Amino acid sequence: MTPTHDAIGIWLAAVCTIAIYSILYRENVLFRLFEHILIGLATGYGAYIVVTQVLHPLWYTPTFEEGRWYDIFALLTGALFYTIFSRRLAWMSRFAMGVLMGLGAGLGIVGFITELAPQLQASFKPLNTINNVMVLVTVLTVMSYFFFSREHGRGLAASSRLGRWLLMVGFGAIFGNTVMARMSLFIDRANFFINDWAPQVKHLALWLWAHLT
Amino acid sequence: MGDYRTRRLIWVLLAAAVMGVLIYPVRMRMLVSPPAYQLYRAVEALPKNKLLIVSCSWEAGTKGENAPQTEAILRHAFQRGLPVAIFGLNYAAGPMLAGDIAAQVAPEYGRKYGRDWVNWGYRTGGSQMVAGLARDIPGTIRQDVNKTPVDKIPVMRGVNNIKDVSMIIEITPSLTVPIFIRYLYGVYRTPIGYACTGVMAPEAFPYLDSGQLVGMLKGLTGAAEYETLIGHPAKGMAGMGPQSFAHLVVIAIILLGNILYLRERARSRRP
Repeated sequence: MTPTHDAIGIWLAAVCTIAIYSILYRENVLFRLFEHILIGLATGYGAYIVVTQVLHPLWYTPTFEEGRWYDIFALLTGALFYTIFSRRLAWMSRFAMGVLMGLGAGLGIVGFITELAPQLQASFKPLNTINNVMVLVTVLTVMSYFFFSREHGRGLAASSRLGRWLLMVGFGAIFGNTVMARMSLFIDRANFFINDWAPQVKHLALWLWAHLT
Repeated sequence: MGDYRTRRLIWVLLAAAVMGVLIYPVRMRMLVSPPAYQLYRAVEALPKNKLLIVSCSWEAGTKGENAPQTEAILRHAFQRGLPVAIFGLNYAAGPMLAGDIAAQVAPEYGRKYGRDWVNWGYRTGGSQMVAGLARDIPGTIRQDVNKTPVDKIPVMRGVNNIKDVSMIIEITPSLTVPIFIRYLYGVYRTPIGYACTGVMAPEAFPYLDSGQLVGMLKGLTGAAEYETLIGHPAKGMAGMGPQSFAHLVVIAIILLGNILYLRERARSRRP
């Protein structure tokens, strides 16, 4: 029996999955080892992709092969961030930080207007359906819960208590969705064990049976 | 120790429920939710002369949810003959994983790489990159994963800026969709679709209600709904039986836990 690339990949994936799931039994060395392997692989792969798919085509090629020499300033500006590691040169990192914060602030203002304004507008609904009334009640009561500049007297206390209950309903929905999401990820792995790995185990068992008996 | 035993028992029960239904499949009837139907209708209405961008900002950790969503959406796009561009923002592995899915699905509909779809690969820069994409797509992307300049790729002919894009569908476990909403929908009114993991769905509903998203797929359920709509049941649908049974086990455990807790409390209050 010559193992194919697919078979090796499936066995490796099975070992990795079992090692990671072994944490469900208890903390152990195998889990730690594979956790470190996973983090190392992800970091290494990420760095490789950034170099090959981002830095090389978007910076190196234009700068050194297409004559856009002025792109070198992007590297120099970016490199200023690393001066933070030197006590003597750390002040230079403020230039890079300033550029980044200026860009972020400018884009953030556009973002605030284009993202939140339509949502504010959408919360003003005609009160002609139960859903719309619920939206209004939820918005007002939840906002009253976060109103801290006045003591929560009788009226405000009732409103903020209702707001808290509605928040709990929201958290319940988020928790329900979280359970659903985690189950989906487990289903994928269980599917892999049953439909990909189990045939490989059977194949190996038959091969061993044929050669050892 | 008792806590550990209880916890292990819960894992075993959940694993048994999931694996049992995977080995002995149970047919589930799929009801399609309005957000999934809205996304389907929006893709169905897209013109064939504009590019559909599928942003795959996910990686192996959420493959269980995002891969079936990606497959269902790409299948629909290839069925309809829409020009497709794949790329990714947050996770380096996303475009590669999505590219593998596209390479498997495209030939089923006679679609070819370069002519009908392209993989731009991973791009960093977040909001700055997306803002640049709106003004100049070839200048921002420059080349695909095979290092071919985008102006030499047939599917990219005539694609200059965001006006040549019919829609962007963001498939992700992260909240990256606001970037597209802020700088593309908010400024250019480019329709945005969203396929997220179940955890992220509650946070996305305000965008859906305000019309900033044209539609949404919610986790594996969303993938199953979309598979139902395109008439091609696959991994999403296969996961619905195990998921439903796992949910029943979770509900039963929560009820049992509360009953035992209340009984214990009543017993401790007795004099």
